[in-house]
Amino acid sequence: MEYARMKFYCDEHRCIECDGCSVACAEAHELPVGIARRKVITINEGIPGKEFSTSIACMHCTDAPCEQVCPVDCFYIREDGIVLHDKEKCIGCGYCLYACPFGAPQFPREGIFGAKGAMDKCTMCAGGPLETNSEKERHLYGQNRIAEGKVPVCAAMCSTKALLVGDSESVSAIIRARVSSRAKGASNPLVWDKAYKNQ
Amino acid sequence: MKKYLYMFIATLALASTALAVDSQIWGEMRIQNILGYGQEESLKLGPLFTMLQHQYFAWIFLGVLIGVPGAFFLHYKIIGPKVFPHSEKKYYAFNLYNRIIHQIAAISFIVIVPTGFVIVFGDFFGGGMFVRFCKNLHGLFTIPFTIVVIPMALMWLKEALFNLDDVKWFMILGGYLSKEKKPILAGKFNAGQKMWYWVAILGGITMILSGAFMFFLDFKMEMLHNVTRMSQIDMLRAAAIIHNVMGFAVVALFITHVYMSMFAIKGAVQSIITGYVEEEEVKILHSTWYKKLKDQGKF
Repeated sequence: MEYARMKFYCDEHRCIECDGCSVACAEAHELPVGIARRKVITINEGIPGKEFSTSIACMHCTDAPCEQVCPVDCFYIREDGIVLHDKEKCIGCGYCLYACPFGAPQFPREGIFGAKGAMDKCTMCAGGPLETNSEKERHLYGQNRIAEGKVPVCAAMCSTKALLVGDSESVSAIIRARVSSRAKGASNPLVWDKAYKNQ
Repeated sequence: MKKYLYMFIATLALASTALAVDSQIWGEMRIQNILGYGQEESLKLGPLFTMLQHQYFAWIFLGVLIGVPGAFFLHYKIIGPKVFPHSEKKYYAFNLYNRIIHQIAAISFIVIVPTGFVIVFGDFFGGGMFVRFCKNLHGLFTIPFTIVVIPMALMWLKEALFNLDDVKWFMILGGYLSKEKKPILAGKFNAGQKMWYWVAILGGITMILSGAFMFFLDFKMEMLHNVTRMSQIDMLRAAAIIHNVMGFAVVALFITHVYMSMFAIKGAVQSIITGYVEEEEVKILHSTWYKKLKDQGKF
């Protein structure tokens, strides 16, 4: 059976920098202060005609570099391409952050020495390795909306539908339709070359 | 010196507590970090670190961990240890201050080196509690080493400067490849010990700084960014690469140091415990120093 390949896409022509996605994410997963799994960034800020915003989180890369460098092998990539990690295995060394092109992994400080705690990042609302929808899973990783057949909360909340998430064919079909209606000429989705090697 | 060290640590600690607002990684800088990743004009440290850590670091550490003791095991079996009488006259070479400084560094290394290996082979140990505990010990025992590294550097600096004896020492590899007891040219420290001195001191300081970078992670030191022209994330990547590469050298020479003092020269470890070096041992292994001591009437 061929599994779908889940991808994120943020349409920079539509993103209005409302921050709704990151607020929805933080609320839905009850993230601690100082942790933002998703962040809206503005590129070429103040340059007329070139300024645009986009929403960034873990892109769930093909050949995820975080998975390659982890010394305790706490990452695993699901059949549908979602990159998850085991927080109970993670030692908070920070290597995944150095490898990540997007600055996605974050580390809450914990303990008396303020050492880096277990890494936290976007799960594409797919929880972690624990029992699906268990209390412990929700506590460590946040909601598991994928298991319930729901769209990840950031994309569900996006008011302009700039942020899309789904299997790559459906996402690509929407991108094609939008690009042709704009008649501006096709361009590769931002950061897709790094995340998905343009596959 | 210590004052500056404390100031440096305090700056790092303060900077690391300033959260996301001024973050050099998840704040405004994140845009440049994303756009610059792997670009032609960048240093490409992200992909470089990923490649090295993914394919090489753990294997090289495994090679060092097996290869160096393996070579010494063969040396012990084929050539064997050097045994000196130890009942002869002794000379008081290391005072209490020397020994305390050395012992603090020794204890630090005995904890830091094995816990470092546990982190490198973290997947073998299954991650979680145990590896996390080792990671914390790895950082914690850096503190005593940080305190003694400068005093240690200063107290042995004069004896650790290389001279002509060392060239001859290296030519015969310190005489360790023969069973003969022929006097070997060396001062208080032979060329091998000097090499260890420089790796332990300069390598050790490099390890402390690169390790501190990775521990404190998110801080801003304007001067450092200006001098290196690197972003914080690139400096972290460089720190991780340097920490591993320097680790190869420190670990290899640490194992050598332990082998020499505990096995290759029987009873040599006693000199740093009691402070007394044994005459016959000095006469053969440190003949230049022996001549000097003899002239001064110390033996």
